Amino acid sequence: MKILVCIKQVLESGTDIKIDESGKWVHYSDSSRFEINPYDNYAIEEAILIKEKFEDAHIDVITVGPDRTADVLRRALGMGADEAIHIIDKTDGYRPPAVTASWISAYAKDKKYDLILTGIMSEDEMNAQTGPMIAQIMDLPCATATIRQNISEDKKSITIEREIEGGERDQFDITLPCVLTIQTGINSPRYPALSKVLRAKKKTFDIIQSETLDMPVHTPKLNDIILPIKEAQGLFIEGNIENKADQLLKILASRSLL
Amino acid sequence: MTQKIAIIAGHDGKKITTATWELFAFAQKLADSSNSGSDNTDICFYLIGENTREGAEEISFRSGCPVIAADVPGTRNYQGPIFKKTLLKLFSKNTFNYIIAPHNTSGMDYAPAISLGLGGTCMTAVEDVKEKEGSLLFLRSMYGGKIQARMEIDAPLAILTLAPGAFKPVQPEKNSTADVSHIIIDTPQAKMTYIGSLPSPSQGSNLAKAEVIVAGGRGIEEEENYQFIEQLADIFPRAATGASRPICDYGWVKYSQQVGATGTIVAPKLYIACGISGSTQHLEGIRDSRFIIAINSDPDAPILQVADVCIIEDLTEFIPIVVEAYKNRKRPAN
Repeated sequence: MKILVCIKQVLESGTDIKIDESGKWVHYSDSSRFEINPYDNYAIEEAILIKEKFEDAHIDVITVGPDRTADVLRRALGMGADEAIHIIDKTDGYRPPAVTASWISAYAKDKKYDLILTGIMSEDEMNAQTGPMIAQIMDLPCATATIRQNISEDKKSITIEREIEGGERDQFDITLPCVLTIQTGINSPRYPALSKVLRAKKKTFDIIQSETLDMPVHTPKLNDIILPIKEAQGLFIEGNIENKADQLLKILASRSLL
Repeated sequence: MTQKIAIIAGHDGKKITTATWELFAFAQKLADSSNSGSDNTDICFYLIGENTREGAEEISFRSGCPVIAADVPGTRNYQGPIFKKTLLKLFSKNTFNYIIAPHNTSGMDYAPAISLGLGGTCMTAVEDVKEKEGSLLFLRSMYGGKIQARMEIDAPLAILTLAPGAFKPVQPEKNSTADVSHIIIDTPQAKMTYIGSLPSPSQGSNLAKAEVIVAGGRGIEEEENYQFIEQLADIFPRAATGASRPICDYGWVKYSQQVGATGTIVAPKLYIACGISGSTQHLEGIRDSRFIIAINSDPDAPILQVADVCIIEDLTEFIPIVVEAYKNRKRPAN
């Protein structure tokens, strides 16, 4: 059982997002802090749970990005992944999901993975495209928003539940290999273990320079990024905290809501 | 040159989905914005499912646009492989400039895949389109709505998914007849087979019918702080307590209390969002609330864009003061 987990580094959640001078990307400074895309933790954890069930399972983690993104690979190894692949892309700006998907597919195509996992989307760009695109390029079946999985004893197929509108679930039997994008809540991601983190520090990654990989023909172009125009029509209650509480109660009473 | 837009319509078994008419509104804006470069725009609908006849007639009658109705066995529930194969078959011979689909759990599944299969490009959760110096800019959110990207398309075909609620659904009543063509497509057995469906964990929750809902989100910061949500709910005669998805994922609150697109869609008289930043999937679930109050310590939280009343405070400090003030108000009245 060979598993590939695709992960991404994003700005730490809660970061005050600023636009850089070019107006084309988010401003990163020396003090910017990055973390693993929180959604990807669920994909890594699910791979580890599979490994705990099938002892012969082997987990590779892969990321695309500049040098600093190696941190998320180390973190995944600290959680329990076996090997890491880093596709180094020196351009530190917008990279369309079609590019990421095509590069990961180029790496994975002859590696005979039984299962390729991604998070449901990335917290920064929120495209939710990389997983389904990898499946399409590699001609593999794909389930998005997977909320439960169970691999058959003979390891030839997998039963999954995918979440649809209203939290309902559709169940599918899929012949392996396949691609799954993992929904949050499927598990409780563990924290990296110190012993594994120390071992990960010494580990060498499989490094691929993105220049050696082909670009897809068509990708969307980023014109610029902007702060959303605030159209808030609502009433902002001002004053000290007690005063705000009084005003809120008055509003509720005047609308007969209390 | 005529520009062509295809809309992937939806039918929920009873009626045409609201998303279909949101897509129609978006298609019209797209046509108006881009007409400078082309003589006119053809809009047509594709309806895929089982027994599509009535739905197709309705779309055509109301919109005045042609409809291609594809009856595909096994599509009562969304099945990715069948849907993707059908779309690739339908669109491989027809050249469109834009194929637009809803940004729901189905559209998110097939749009990226078919964009590659058809040699086009893909953009998900598009919110608007604007013309700027002769080119079209498509808006979509990043960083949970704190940044918007303006994207350009540089491909003969673009598959776009439209963010729910971004456009007001149009209610066309053209009452005309446009072409409705029916086709039957049978796709061979795929490597992914549908075996059944399970109800939502939120089925039967009291949220859907509640008149007042007080809900908590990541801003409660610790599990025990959910008590503040319950305390605030207690000042109302009948209020239900809810939660945003993350704190359900953390296991702090049961999924049956989750409000949002993947939980319960609510429509109370009053919705109080405490420490909920307002992800698109959460906002989609509260859109029909009549009055929204947001209590949040982050003045940039997207929830403040939709709330009727906004209070920038830490909920753990603010809620006890509200509860105390409420008790003091009641006392003299007794």
